Amino acid sequence: MNKEPLVQVKKIFKSYQKVQALRDFSLIVKPGMIFSLLGPNGAGKTTLMKILLGIVKYDSGTVHIVNFPVSSPLSRKSVRYLPEYLTFPSWVTPKVLMRQLERIRHESSMHDFIQRCIELECVDLMNRSMGKMSRGQRQRVALSLVTTGQPKLVLLDEPSTGLDPGGRIMVRNLIKKLASNGSTILINSHLLGEVELVCDTAAFINKGRLIAEGGIDSLSRQTGLAFVETEKTAEMHEALENAGYSCRIEDKGVLVQLTDPSAFREFTRIVLKTGIIFSALTLKRESLEDVFLRIMEDSNLEDDIVS
Amino acid sequence: MFLNCIEQLLRRKIVLTAVVATAVFLGFYWWGVSAASSIEFNPGNDSADPVMSMLGSADAALAAIITAGPLAATLITALMIVIGSTMLPEEIGQGRMSFWLSLPQSRLRVFLSTSLAPLAVSFALSLILFAGIFVITRIYFPFSPRSIPMVLISMLIWLASVWASVTLLSLIVKKVASMLITFFLAAVASMFGGVYEMMKMFPGDAPDALVTVTRVIMYVFPADRGYRGVIYGMIPKEAVITENLAFFGVTAAVPPAHLIYAAFWSIVLLGLGYWKFRSMDF
Repeated sequence: MNKEPLVQVKKIFKSYQKVQALRDFSLIVKPGMIFSLLGPNGAGKTTLMKILLGIVKYDSGTVHIVNFPVSSPLSRKSVRYLPEYLTFPSWVTPKVLMRQLERIRHESSMHDFIQRCIELECVDLMNRSMGKMSRGQRQRVALSLVTTGQPKLVLLDEPSTGLDPGGRIMVRNLIKKLASNGSTILINSHLLGEVELVCDTAAFINKGRLIAEGGIDSLSRQTGLAFVETEKTAEMHEALENAGYSCRIEDKGVLVQLTDPSAFREFTRIVLKTGIIFSALTLKRESLEDVFLRIMEDSNLEDDIVS
Repeated sequence: MFLNCIEQLLRRKIVLTAVVATAVFLGFYWWGVSAASSIEFNPGNDSADPVMSMLGSADAALAAIITAGPLAATLITALMIVIGSTMLPEEIGQGRMSFWLSLPQSRLRVFLSTSLAPLAVSFALSLILFAGIFVITRIYFPFSPRSIPMVLISMLIWLASVWASVTLLSLIVKKVASMLITFFLAAVASMFGGVYEMMKMFPGDAPDALVTVTRVIMYVFPADRGYRGVIYGMIPKEAVITENLAFFGVTAAVPPAHLIYAAFWSIVLLGLGYWKFRSMDF
Protein backbone atom coordinates (compact mmCIF):
# COMPACT_ATOMS: atom_id res chain seq x y z
CA MET A 1 0.00 0.00 0.00
CA ASN A 2 1.20 3.51 -0.79
CA LYS A 3 2.18 5.12 2.52
CA GLU A 4 2.51 8.67 1.18
CA PRO A 5 0.51 10.95 3.50
CA LEU A 6 -3.07 11.32 2.38
CA VAL A 7 -3.70 14.44 4.45
CA GLN A 8 -0.92 16.96 5.02
CA VAL A 9 -1.64 19.98 7.16
CA LYS A 10 1.30 22.29 7.78
CA LYS A 11 1.32 25.17 10.24
CA ILE A 12 -2.13 26.49 9.54
CA PHE A 13 -3.74 29.40 11.30
CA LYS A 14 -7.41 30.24 11.13
CA SER A 15 -9.33 32.93 12.96
CA TYR A 16 -12.96 34.01 12.94
CA GLN A 17 -12.77 37.73 13.61
CA LYS A 18 -11.27 37.82 17.15
CA VAL A 19 -11.49 34.08 17.83
CA GLN A 20 -8.41 32.01 16.98
CA ALA A 21 -9.91 28.71 15.77
CA LEU A 22 -6.64 26.99 14.79
CA ARG A 23 -3.11 27.95 15.80
CA ASP A 24 0.08 26.65 14.23
CA PHE A 25 -1.69 23.39 13.50
CA SER A 26 0.06 20.54 11.69
CA LEU A 27 -1.19 17.04 11.08
CA ILE A 28 -0.39 14.08 8.86
CA VAL A 29 -2.81 11.26 8.16
CA LYS A 30 -1.55 8.19 6.33
CA PRO A 31 -3.66 5.90 4.13
CA GLY A 32 -5.69 3.18 5.83
CA MET A 33 -5.91 4.94 9.20
CA ILE A 34 -9.12 5.28 11.18
CA PHE A 35 -8.29 8.64 12.65
CA SER A 36 -10.28 10.49 15.25
CA LEU A 37 -10.29 14.20 16.05
CA LEU A 38 -11.01 14.68 19.73
CA GLY A 39 -11.48 17.80 21.76
CA PRO A 40 -14.02 19.84 23.69
CA ASN A 41 -16.70 21.95 21.96
CA GLY A 42 -15.15 24.84 20.08
CA ALA A 43 -11.70 23.23 20.01
CA GLY A 44 -11.47 23.61 16.20
CA LYS A 45 -12.26 20.05 15.06
CA THR A 46 -15.07 20.90 12.64
CA THR A 47 -13.10 23.91 11.37
CA LEU A 48 -10.18 21.60 10.60
CA MET A 49 -12.45 19.14 8.81
CA LYS A 50 -13.97 21.93 6.72
CA ILE A 51 -10.53 23.33 5.91
CA LEU A 52 -9.59 19.89 4.55
CA LEU A 53 -12.56 20.17 2.19
CA GLY A 54 -11.94 23.76 1.14
CA ILE A 55 -15.25 24.79 2.69
CA VAL A 56 -13.53 27.04 5.21
CA LYS A 57 -10.60 29.24 4.16
CA TYR A 58 -7.50 29.30 6.34
CA ASP A 59 -5.36 32.35 6.99
CA SER A 60 -1.89 30.86 6.49
CA GLY A 61 -0.10 27.53 6.13
CA THR A 62 -0.60 24.73 3.59
CA VAL A 63 -3.11 21.92 3.31
CA HIS A 64 -2.87 19.07 0.81
CA ILE A 65 -5.18 16.13 0.22
CA VAL A 66 -3.88 13.35 -2.01
CA ASN A 67 -1.07 15.73 -3.05
CA PHE A 68 -3.48 18.38 -4.28
CA PRO A 69 -3.92 21.72 -2.49
CA VAL A 70 -7.40 21.93 -0.98
CA SER A 71 -8.18 24.95 -3.15
CA SER A 72 -8.32 22.57 -6.12
CA PRO A 73 -11.53 20.57 -6.77
CA LEU A 74 -9.20 17.66 -7.67
CA SER A 75 -8.38 17.28 -3.97
CA ARG A 76 -12.01 16.30 -3.40
CA LYS A 77 -12.26 13.84 -6.29
CA SER A 78 -12.10 10.78 -4.06
CA VAL A 79 -13.13 12.40 -0.79
CA ARG A 80 -16.53 11.98 0.83
CA TYR A 81 -17.93 14.14 3.61
CA LEU A 82 -20.83 13.79 6.00
CA PRO A 83 -21.53 17.10 7.76
CA GLU A 84 -22.91 17.14 11.28
CA TYR A 85 -26.00 19.09 10.26
CA LEU A 86 -27.35 18.28 6.82
CA THR A 87 -30.97 18.84 5.89
CA PHE A 88 -32.03 17.65 2.48
CA PRO A 89 -35.12 19.18 0.85
CA SER A 90 -38.22 17.42 2.18
CA TRP A 91 -39.41 16.27 -1.28
CA VAL A 92 -36.21 14.57 -2.31
CA THR A 93 -35.87 10.77 -2.16
CA PRO A 94 -32.58 8.87 -1.67
CA LYS A 95 -32.75 7.70 -5.29
CA VAL A 96 -33.12 11.28 -6.59
CA LEU A 97 -30.28 12.42 -4.31
CA MET A 98 -27.98 9.72 -5.63
CA ARG A 99 -28.86 10.69 -9.21
CA GLN A 100 -28.03 14.31 -8.39
CA LEU A 101 -24.68 13.28 -6.93
CA GLU A 102 -23.96 11.11 -9.97
CA ARG A 103 -24.47 14.18 -12.17
CA ILE A 104 -21.95 16.16 -10.16
CA ARG A 105 -19.39 13.39 -9.80
CA HIS A 106 -19.81 12.24 -13.42
CA GLU A 107 -19.93 8.62 -12.32
CA SER A 108 -22.50 5.88 -12.02
CA SER A 109 -22.88 4.77 -8.41
CA MET A 110 -26.52 3.72 -8.09
CA HIS A 111 -25.71 0.00 -7.82
CA ASP A 112 -23.10 0.62 -5.09
CA PHE A 113 -25.52 2.92 -3.32
CA ILE A 114 -28.24 0.28 -3.24
CA GLN A 115 -25.73 -2.23 -1.85
CA ARG A 116 -24.72 0.22 0.87
CA CYS A 117 -28.38 0.89 1.70
CA ILE A 118 -28.90 -2.87 2.09
CA GLU A 119 -25.90 -2.94 4.43
CA LEU A 120 -27.24 -0.06 6.55
CA GLU A 121 -30.79 -1.46 6.42
CA CYS A 122 -32.34 1.52 4.68
CA VAL A 123 -32.97 0.10 1.22
CA ASP A 124 -36.72 0.17 1.79
CA LEU A 125 -36.46 3.97 2.06
CA MET A 126 -35.11 4.42 -1.49
CA ASN A 127 -38.31 5.98 -2.82
CA ARG A 128 -39.47 7.69 0.35
CA SER A 129 -39.15 11.46 0.58
CA MET A 130 -36.70 12.76 3.19
CA GLY A 131 -39.50 14.74 4.85
CA LYS A 132 -41.21 11.48 5.78
CA MET A 133 -38.17 9.90 7.44
CA SER A 134 -37.05 9.91 11.06
CA ARG A 135 -33.71 11.51 11.98
CA GLY A 136 -32.06 8.12 12.29
CA GLN A 137 -33.37 7.01 8.89
CA ARG A 138 -32.06 10.18 7.27
CA GLN A 139 -28.68 9.61 8.90
CA ARG A 140 -28.50 6.05 7.53
CA VAL A 141 -29.35 7.33 4.04
CA ALA A 142 -26.79 10.12 4.33
CA LEU A 143 -24.12 7.64 5.46
CA SER A 144 -24.96 5.38 2.52
CA LEU A 145 -24.68 8.32 0.13
CA VAL A 146 -21.29 9.48 1.33
CA THR A 147 -19.69 6.05 1.62
CA THR A 148 -20.75 4.78 -1.80
CA GLY A 149 -17.93 3.82 -4.16
CA GLN A 150 -14.27 3.48 -3.25
CA PRO A 151 -13.39 6.79 -1.61
CA LYS A 152 -9.78 7.38 -0.56
CA LEU A 153 -10.77 9.61 2.32
CA VAL A 154 -14.06 9.71 4.24
CA LEU A 155 -14.68 12.56 6.67
CA LEU A 156 -17.47 11.89 9.13
CA ASP A 157 -18.67 14.61 11.47
CA GLU A 158 -20.63 12.98 14.30
CA PRO A 159 -21.67 9.97 12.17
CA SER A 160 -23.69 8.28 14.93
CA THR A 161 -26.00 11.26 15.50
CA GLY A 162 -29.61 10.12 15.82
CA LEU A 163 -28.81 6.44 15.46
CA ASP A 164 -30.11 3.69 17.76
CA PRO A 165 -27.64 1.16 19.26
CA GLY A 166 -28.16 -1.19 16.29
CA GLY A 167 -27.43 1.67 13.91
CA ARG A 168 -24.25 2.56 15.79
CA ILE A 169 -22.98 -0.99 15.51
CA MET A 170 -23.71 -0.88 11.76
CA VAL A 171 -21.75 2.38 11.47
CA ARG A 172 -18.81 0.85 13.34
CA ASN A 173 -18.84 -2.18 11.06
CA LEU A 174 -19.13 0.06 8.00
CA ILE A 175 -16.14 2.16 9.09
CA LYS A 176 -14.03 -0.95 9.66
CA LYS A 177 -15.09 -2.34 6.28
CA LEU A 178 -14.22 0.90 4.48
CA ALA A 179 -10.81 0.94 6.15
CA SER A 180 -10.17 -2.71 5.25
CA ASN A 181 -10.99 -1.80 1.63
CA GLY A 182 -8.29 0.88 1.69
CA SER A 183 -10.22 4.01 2.65
CA THR A 184 -8.87 6.38 5.26
CA ILE A 185 -11.46 7.54 7.76
CA LEU A 186 -11.37 10.79 9.68
CA ILE A 187 -13.99 10.95 12.43
CA ASN A 188 -15.10 13.84 14.54
CA SER A 189 -17.21 12.56 17.40
CA HIS A 190 -17.96 13.23 21.03
CA LEU A 191 -18.96 9.62 21.63
CA LEU A 192 -15.62 8.46 22.99
CA GLY A 193 -16.90 4.94 23.59
CA GLU A 194 -17.71 4.63 19.88
CA VAL A 195 -14.38 6.16 18.87
CA GLU A 196 -12.44 3.79 21.14
CA LEU A 197 -14.10 0.79 19.55
CA VAL A 198 -13.34 1.77 15.98
CA CYS A 199 -10.38 4.19 15.72
CA ASP A 200 -6.71 3.26 15.79
CA THR A 201 -5.27 6.79 15.95
CA ALA A 202 -6.42 10.02 17.59
CA ALA A 203 -5.48 13.67 17.59
CA PHE A 204 -6.44 15.73 20.63
CA ILE A 205 -7.25 19.37 19.92
CA ASN A 206 -7.76 22.09 22.49
CA LYS A 207 -8.22 25.81 21.85
CA GLY A 208 -7.13 25.38 18.25
CA ARG A 209 -3.86 23.58 19.04
CA LEU A 210 -2.84 19.98 18.51
CA ILE A 211 -1.92 18.85 22.02
CA ALA A 212 -1.42 15.11 21.54
CA GLU A 213 -1.47 12.65 18.68
CA GLY A 214 -0.80 8.95 18.27
CA GLY A 215 -2.16 5.44 18.49
CA ILE A 216 -4.94 5.09 21.01
CA ASP A 217 -3.09 2.26 22.79
CA SER A 218 0.08 4.30 23.09
CA LEU A 219 -1.81 7.31 24.45
CA SER A 220 -3.54 5.39 27.21
CA ARG A 221 -1.47 4.84 30.35
CA GLN A 222 -1.49 1.98 32.80
CA THR A 223 -3.68 3.06 35.68
CA GLY A 224 -2.31 1.28 38.77
CA LEU A 225 -5.54 -0.68 38.97
CA ALA A 226 -5.36 -4.48 38.74
CA PHE A 227 -8.24 -6.82 38.14
CA VAL A 228 -8.30 -10.41 39.35
CA GLU A 229 -10.89 -12.43 37.50
CA THR A 230 -12.20 -15.19 39.74
CA GLU A 231 -15.39 -16.93 40.73
CA LYS A 232 -14.33 -16.87 44.39
CA THR A 233 -14.63 -13.12 44.76
CA ALA A 234 -15.31 -13.03 48.51
CA GLU A 235 -12.29 -15.22 49.42
CA MET A 236 -9.99 -13.30 47.09
CA HIS A 237 -11.22 -9.96 48.45
CA GLU A 238 -10.59 -11.06 52.02
CA ALA A 239 -7.13 -12.51 51.23
CA LEU A 240 -5.98 -9.37 49.42
CA GLU A 241 -7.27 -7.06 52.14
CA ASN A 242 -5.39 -9.13 54.69
CA ALA A 243 -2.29 -8.65 52.50
CA GLY A 244 -2.75 -4.88 52.88
CA TYR A 245 -4.35 -4.00 49.52
CA SER A 246 -7.27 -1.66 49.05
CA CYS A 247 -9.78 -3.51 46.88
CA ARG A 248 -13.45 -3.95 46.03
CA ILE A 249 -15.58 -6.77 44.67
CA GLU A 250 -16.80 -6.28 41.10
CA ASP A 251 -18.75 -8.46 38.73
CA LYS A 252 -16.68 -11.64 38.13
CA GLY A 253 -13.65 -10.43 40.05
CA VAL A 254 -11.86 -8.08 42.39
CA LEU A 255 -10.48 -4.64 41.51
CA VAL A 256 -7.30 -3.77 43.37
CA GLN A 257 -5.55 -0.41 43.80
CA LEU A 258 -1.77 -0.78 43.52
CA THR A 259 0.66 1.83 44.73
CA ASP A 260 1.87 2.20 41.13
CA PRO A 261 1.94 0.04 37.96
CA SER A 262 5.46 -1.22 38.77
CA ALA A 263 4.08 -2.98 41.86
CA PHE A 264 2.23 -5.41 39.58
CA ARG A 265 4.97 -8.07 39.70
CA GLU A 266 4.86 -8.17 43.52
CA PHE A 267 1.06 -8.19 43.41
CA THR A 268 1.09 -11.22 41.05
CA ARG A 269 3.24 -13.08 43.56
CA ILE A 270 0.78 -12.28 46.41
CA VAL A 271 -2.22 -13.44 44.33
CA LEU A 272 -0.49 -16.75 43.53
CA LYS A 273 0.39 -17.11 47.19
CA THR A 274 -3.31 -16.91 48.24
CA GLY A 275 -3.88 -20.26 46.51
CA ILE A 276 -7.30 -19.14 45.32
CA ILE A 277 -8.09 -20.18 41.76
CA PHE A 278 -8.33 -17.24 39.35
CA SER A 279 -8.78 -17.16 35.55
CA ALA A 280 -7.05 -13.84 34.67
CA LEU A 281 -4.93 -11.13 36.21
CA THR A 282 -4.70 -7.86 34.31
CA LEU A 283 -3.31 -4.41 34.84
CA LYS A 284 -5.99 -1.94 33.76
CA ARG A 285 -5.27 0.81 31.24
CA GLU A 286 -7.00 4.18 30.90
CA SER A 287 -10.14 4.29 28.81
CA LEU A 288 -10.21 6.85 25.98
CA GLU A 289 -12.42 8.98 28.18
CA ASP A 290 -9.75 8.92 30.92
CA VAL A 291 -7.08 9.78 28.34
CA PHE A 292 -9.22 12.63 27.02
CA LEU A 293 -9.84 14.11 30.46
CA ARG A 294 -6.17 13.79 31.47
CA ILE A 295 -4.84 15.36 28.27
CA MET A 296 -7.35 18.21 28.37
CA GLU A 297 -6.61 18.89 32.05
CA ASP A 298 -2.85 18.97 31.38
CA SER A 299 -3.39 21.28 28.41
CA ASN A 300 -5.55 23.71 30.38
CA LEU A 301 -3.05 23.69 33.23
CA GLU A 302 -0.23 24.44 30.80
CA ASP A 303 -2.23 27.32 29.34
CA ASP A 304 -2.86 28.71 32.82
CA ILE A 305 0.85 28.61 33.64
CA VAL A 306 1.78 30.30 30.35
CA SER A 307 -0.84 33.02 30.81
CA MET B 1 -25.44 20.99 -10.19
CA PHE B 2 -27.43 23.49 -12.29
CA LEU B 3 -29.98 20.80 -13.19
CA ASN B 4 -30.20 19.79 -9.53
CA CYS B 5 -31.00 23.38 -8.58
CA ILE B 6 -33.60 23.68 -11.36
CA GLU B 7 -35.16 20.40 -10.17
CA GLN B 8 -35.29 21.77 -6.66
CA LEU B 9 -36.79 25.10 -7.73
CA LEU B 10 -39.51 23.43 -9.77
CA ARG B 11 -40.62 21.61 -6.61
CA ARG B 12 -41.07 24.83 -4.70
CA LYS B 13 -44.60 26.06 -4.01
CA ILE B 14 -43.72 29.63 -4.97
CA VAL B 15 -42.77 28.51 -8.49
CA LEU B 16 -45.90 26.39 -8.78
CA THR B 17 -47.95 29.38 -7.60
CA ALA B 18 -46.29 31.59 -10.22
CA VAL B 19 -47.07 29.02 -12.94
CA VAL B 20 -50.73 28.93 -11.86
CA ALA B 21 -50.81 32.75 -11.65
CA THR B 22 -49.38 32.92 -15.19
CA ALA B 23 -52.07 30.58 -16.49
CA VAL B 24 -54.81 32.54 -14.71
CA PHE B 25 -53.36 35.84 -15.93
CA LEU B 26 -53.30 34.64 -19.54
CA GLY B 27 -56.85 33.27 -19.15
CA PHE B 28 -58.12 36.64 -17.98
CA TYR B 29 -56.12 38.40 -20.68
CA TRP B 30 -57.63 36.15 -23.34
CA TRP B 31 -61.09 36.86 -21.98
CA GLY B 32 -60.52 40.62 -21.91
CA VAL B 33 -58.91 40.86 -25.35
CA SER B 34 -61.54 38.66 -26.98
CA ALA B 35 -64.25 40.87 -25.47
CA ALA B 36 -62.49 44.02 -26.72
CA SER B 37 -62.08 42.53 -30.20
CA SER B 38 -65.68 43.40 -31.03
CA ILE B 39 -64.60 47.06 -31.50
CA GLU B 40 -64.92 48.08 -35.11
CA PHE B 41 -62.16 50.18 -36.58
CA ASN B 42 -62.85 52.43 -39.53
CA PRO B 43 -59.62 54.13 -40.42
CA GLY B 44 -60.20 57.16 -42.56
CA ASN B 45 -63.92 57.35 -41.82
CA ASP B 46 -64.53 61.10 -41.28
CA SER B 47 -67.97 60.63 -39.82
CA ALA B 48 -66.61 58.83 -36.74
CA ASP B 49 -64.78 60.43 -33.77
CA PRO B 50 -61.72 62.18 -35.33
CA VAL B 51 -59.25 60.41 -33.03
CA MET B 52 -60.92 57.02 -33.25
CA SER B 53 -61.11 57.30 -37.02
CA MET B 54 -57.29 57.33 -37.14
CA LEU B 55 -56.84 54.12 -35.14
CA GLY B 56 -56.53 50.56 -36.44
CA SER B 57 -56.35 47.09 -34.93
CA ALA B 58 -52.61 47.55 -34.38
CA ASP B 59 -53.41 50.43 -32.02
CA ALA B 60 -55.80 48.19 -30.10
CA ALA B 61 -52.98 45.62 -29.89
CA LEU B 62 -50.66 48.35 -28.61
CA ALA B 63 -53.18 49.34 -25.94
CA ALA B 64 -53.63 45.71 -24.88
CA ILE B 65 -49.88 45.08 -24.65
CA ILE B 66 -49.03 48.20 -22.71
CA THR B 67 -51.87 47.46 -20.30
CA ALA B 68 -50.86 43.84 -19.71
CA GLY B 69 -47.10 44.46 -19.73
CA PRO B 70 -46.69 46.09 -16.28
CA LEU B 71 -48.91 43.44 -14.65
CA ALA B 72 -46.91 40.64 -16.21
CA ALA B 73 -43.68 42.39 -15.27
CA THR B 74 -44.82 42.68 -11.64
CA LEU B 75 -45.53 38.95 -11.46
CA ILE B 76 -42.19 37.98 -12.95
CA THR B 77 -40.24 40.52 -10.90
CA ALA B 78 -41.88 39.24 -7.72
CA LEU B 79 -41.05 35.63 -8.58
CA MET B 80 -37.49 36.56 -9.51
CA ILE B 81 -36.97 38.43 -6.25
CA VAL B 82 -38.48 35.74 -4.04
CA ILE B 83 -36.64 32.76 -5.52
CA GLY B 84 -33.47 34.75 -6.16
CA SER B 85 -33.30 35.93 -2.56
CA THR B 86 -33.84 32.48 -1.05
CA MET B 87 -31.81 30.12 -3.24
CA LEU B 88 -28.31 30.74 -1.86
CA PRO B 89 -29.34 31.59 1.74
CA GLU B 90 -31.40 28.39 1.98
CA GLU B 91 -28.62 26.17 0.70
CA ILE B 92 -26.26 27.81 3.19
CA GLY B 93 -28.71 27.80 6.11
CA GLN B 94 -29.73 24.16 5.70
CA GLY B 95 -26.10 23.01 5.70
CA ARG B 96 -26.27 21.83 2.10
CA MET B 97 -23.77 24.36 0.79
CA SER B 98 -20.91 22.73 2.72
CA PHE B 99 -22.02 19.40 1.29
CA TRP B 100 -22.10 20.73 -2.31
CA LEU B 101 -18.70 22.36 -1.81
CA SER B 102 -17.25 19.08 -0.51
CA LEU B 103 -17.90 17.56 -3.93
CA PRO B 104 -15.29 17.80 -6.70
CA GLN B 105 -16.50 21.10 -8.16
CA SER B 106 -15.19 24.63 -7.97
CA ARG B 107 -16.76 27.39 -5.91
CA LEU B 108 -17.47 29.33 -9.10
CA ARG B 109 -19.42 26.39 -10.51
CA VAL B 110 -21.42 25.95 -7.31
CA PHE B 111 -22.14 29.70 -7.16
CA LEU B 112 -23.19 30.01 -10.79
CA SER B 113 -25.24 26.81 -10.79
CA THR B 114 -27.09 27.76 -7.64
CA SER B 115 -27.68 31.38 -8.53
CA LEU B 116 -28.39 30.90 -12.25
CA ALA B 117 -31.27 28.51 -11.57
CA PRO B 118 -33.66 31.27 -10.38
CA LEU B 119 -32.77 33.35 -13.46
CA ALA B 120 -33.44 30.40 -15.77
CA VAL B 121 -36.80 29.61 -14.16
CA SER B 122 -37.90 33.25 -14.16
CA PHE B 123 -36.78 33.71 -17.77
CA ALA B 124 -38.70 30.61 -18.85
CA LEU B 125 -41.86 31.76 -17.10
CA SER B 126 -41.41 35.28 -18.47
CA LEU B 127 -41.11 33.87 -21.99
CA ILE B 128 -44.32 31.90 -21.52
CA LEU B 129 -46.14 34.91 -20.13
CA PHE B 130 -45.05 37.44 -22.74
CA ALA B 131 -45.37 34.93 -25.58
CA GLY B 132 -48.90 34.26 -24.34
CA ILE B 133 -49.70 37.99 -24.33
CA PHE B 134 -48.21 38.33 -27.81
CA VAL B 135 -50.06 35.36 -29.31
CA ILE B 136 -53.43 36.18 -27.73
CA THR B 137 -53.17 39.81 -28.87
CA ARG B 138 -52.24 38.80 -32.41
CA ILE B 139 -55.16 36.42 -32.68
CA TYR B 140 -57.67 39.21 -32.10
CA PHE B 141 -55.73 42.23 -33.36
CA PRO B 142 -53.33 41.15 -36.11
CA PHE B 143 -50.05 43.10 -36.07
CA SER B 144 -46.32 42.76 -36.74
CA PRO B 145 -44.00 43.21 -33.76
CA ARG B 146 -41.16 45.70 -33.99
CA SER B 147 -38.40 43.26 -33.05
CA ILE B 148 -38.61 39.79 -31.50
CA PRO B 149 -34.81 39.57 -30.94
CA MET B 150 -35.09 42.88 -29.07
CA VAL B 151 -37.76 41.32 -26.85
CA LEU B 152 -35.58 38.32 -26.01
CA ILE B 153 -32.39 40.28 -25.38
CA SER B 154 -34.14 42.95 -23.35
CA MET B 155 -36.00 40.35 -21.31
CA LEU B 156 -32.76 38.64 -20.40
CA ILE B 157 -31.16 41.96 -19.46
CA TRP B 158 -34.20 43.08 -17.46
CA LEU B 159 -34.32 39.85 -15.44
CA ALA B 160 -30.54 39.66 -15.11
CA SER B 161 -30.50 43.13 -13.55
CA VAL B 162 -33.06 42.13 -10.92
CA TRP B 163 -31.37 38.75 -10.41
CA ALA B 164 -27.84 40.08 -10.00
CA SER B 165 -29.04 42.65 -7.50
CA VAL B 166 -31.07 40.24 -5.37
CA THR B 167 -28.35 37.56 -5.51
CA LEU B 168 -25.70 39.97 -4.25
CA LEU B 169 -28.00 41.41 -1.57
CA SER B 170 -29.01 37.94 -0.35
CA LEU B 171 -25.35 37.28 0.47
CA ILE B 172 -24.95 40.53 2.37
CA VAL B 173 -28.21 41.04 4.25
CA LYS B 174 -31.03 38.79 5.51
CA LYS B 175 -33.21 37.36 2.77
CA VAL B 176 -36.31 39.39 3.71
CA ALA B 177 -34.23 42.57 3.64
CA SER B 178 -32.77 41.62 0.25
CA MET B 179 -36.31 41.09 -1.09
CA LEU B 180 -37.59 44.40 0.22
CA ILE B 181 -34.60 46.39 -1.02
CA THR B 182 -34.84 44.87 -4.51
CA PHE B 183 -38.62 45.41 -4.64
CA PHE B 184 -38.10 49.02 -3.63
CA LEU B 185 -35.35 49.54 -6.22
CA ALA B 186 -37.48 47.88 -8.94
CA ALA B 187 -40.46 50.08 -8.12
CA VAL B 188 -38.43 53.29 -7.97
CA ALA B 189 -36.60 52.40 -11.19
CA SER B 190 -39.91 51.74 -12.94
CA MET B 191 -41.35 55.06 -11.80
CA PHE B 192 -38.28 57.08 -12.74
CA GLY B 193 -38.05 55.17 -16.02
CA GLY B 194 -41.41 56.74 -16.85
CA VAL B 195 -40.24 60.14 -15.60
CA TYR B 196 -37.20 59.84 -17.89
CA GLU B 197 -39.43 59.20 -20.91
CA MET B 198 -41.60 62.18 -19.99
CA MET B 199 -38.55 64.37 -19.69
CA LYS B 200 -37.55 63.28 -23.19
CA MET B 201 -40.99 64.35 -24.40
CA PHE B 202 -40.68 67.78 -22.82
CA PRO B 203 -36.98 68.60 -22.88
CA GLY B 204 -35.93 71.61 -20.84
CA ASP B 205 -39.03 71.67 -18.64
CA ALA B 206 -37.78 69.28 -15.95
CA PRO B 207 -36.09 70.68 -12.82
CA ASP B 208 -32.36 69.96 -12.69
CA ALA B 209 -32.70 68.03 -9.43
CA LEU B 210 -35.26 65.68 -10.99
CA VAL B 211 -33.02 65.13 -14.00
CA THR B 212 -30.13 64.26 -11.70
CA VAL B 213 -32.19 61.90 -9.51
CA THR B 214 -33.63 60.17 -12.57
CA ARG B 215 -30.18 59.62 -14.09
CA VAL B 216 -28.72 58.37 -10.81
CA ILE B 217 -31.54 55.87 -10.39
CA MET B 218 -31.12 54.67 -13.96
CA TYR B 219 -27.44 54.03 -13.26
CA VAL B 220 -28.00 52.47 -9.84
CA PHE B 221 -30.72 50.06 -10.91
CA PRO B 222 -31.07 49.80 -14.71
CA ALA B 223 -33.66 46.98 -14.77
CA ASP B 224 -36.38 49.29 -16.12
CA ARG B 225 -34.41 49.80 -19.34
CA GLY B 226 -34.65 46.10 -20.10
CA TYR B 227 -38.34 45.95 -19.38
CA ARG B 228 -39.02 48.90 -21.69
CA GLY B 229 -36.99 47.10 -24.35
CA VAL B 230 -39.33 44.10 -24.05
CA ILE B 231 -42.39 46.23 -24.57
CA TYR B 232 -40.76 48.21 -27.40
CA GLY B 233 -39.87 45.01 -29.24
CA MET B 234 -43.37 43.58 -28.85
CA ILE B 235 -45.56 46.49 -29.87
CA PRO B 236 -46.98 46.80 -33.42
CA LYS B 237 -45.02 48.49 -36.17
CA GLU B 238 -48.25 49.61 -37.78
CA ALA B 239 -49.64 51.48 -34.77
CA VAL B 240 -50.74 55.04 -35.51
CA ILE B 241 -49.88 56.08 -31.96
CA THR B 242 -46.23 56.90 -32.26
CA GLU B 243 -43.34 56.87 -29.88
CA ASN B 244 -43.61 59.01 -26.76
CA LEU B 245 -47.31 59.61 -27.23
CA ALA B 246 -48.30 56.54 -25.29
CA PHE B 247 -48.67 56.59 -21.53
CA PHE B 248 -45.32 57.22 -19.83
CA GLY B 249 -43.50 56.69 -23.07
CA VAL B 250 -43.56 52.91 -22.87
CA THR B 251 -43.53 52.73 -26.65
CA ALA B 252 -40.29 54.66 -26.91
CA ALA B 253 -37.16 52.97 -28.20
CA VAL B 254 -34.46 52.09 -25.69
CA PRO B 255 -30.99 53.19 -26.79
CA PRO B 256 -28.68 50.15 -27.15
CA ALA B 257 -26.18 51.85 -24.81
CA HIS B 258 -28.74 51.67 -22.01
CA LEU B 259 -29.16 47.92 -22.52
CA ILE B 260 -25.41 47.37 -22.76
CA TYR B 261 -24.93 49.30 -19.54
CA ALA B 262 -27.62 47.22 -17.78
CA ALA B 263 -25.94 44.01 -18.97
CA PHE B 264 -22.52 45.23 -17.83
CA TRP B 265 -23.99 46.35 -14.49
CA SER B 266 -25.50 42.87 -13.96
CA ILE B 267 -22.16 41.20 -14.65
CA VAL B 268 -20.40 43.53 -12.21
CA LEU B 269 -22.95 42.83 -9.48
CA LEU B 270 -22.72 39.11 -10.11
CA GLY B 271 -18.94 39.39 -9.92
CA LEU B 272 -19.27 41.15 -6.56
CA GLY B 273 -21.64 38.40 -5.43
CA TYR B 274 -19.10 35.74 -6.36
CA TRP B 275 -16.31 37.70 -4.66
CA LYS B 276 -18.39 37.70 -1.46
CA PHE B 277 -19.32 33.99 -1.85
CA ARG B 278 -15.71 33.03 -2.50
CA SER B 279 -14.55 34.51 0.76
CA MET B 280 -17.32 32.95 2.84
CA ASP B 281 -16.83 30.08 5.28
CA PHE B 282 -19.64 27.52 5.45
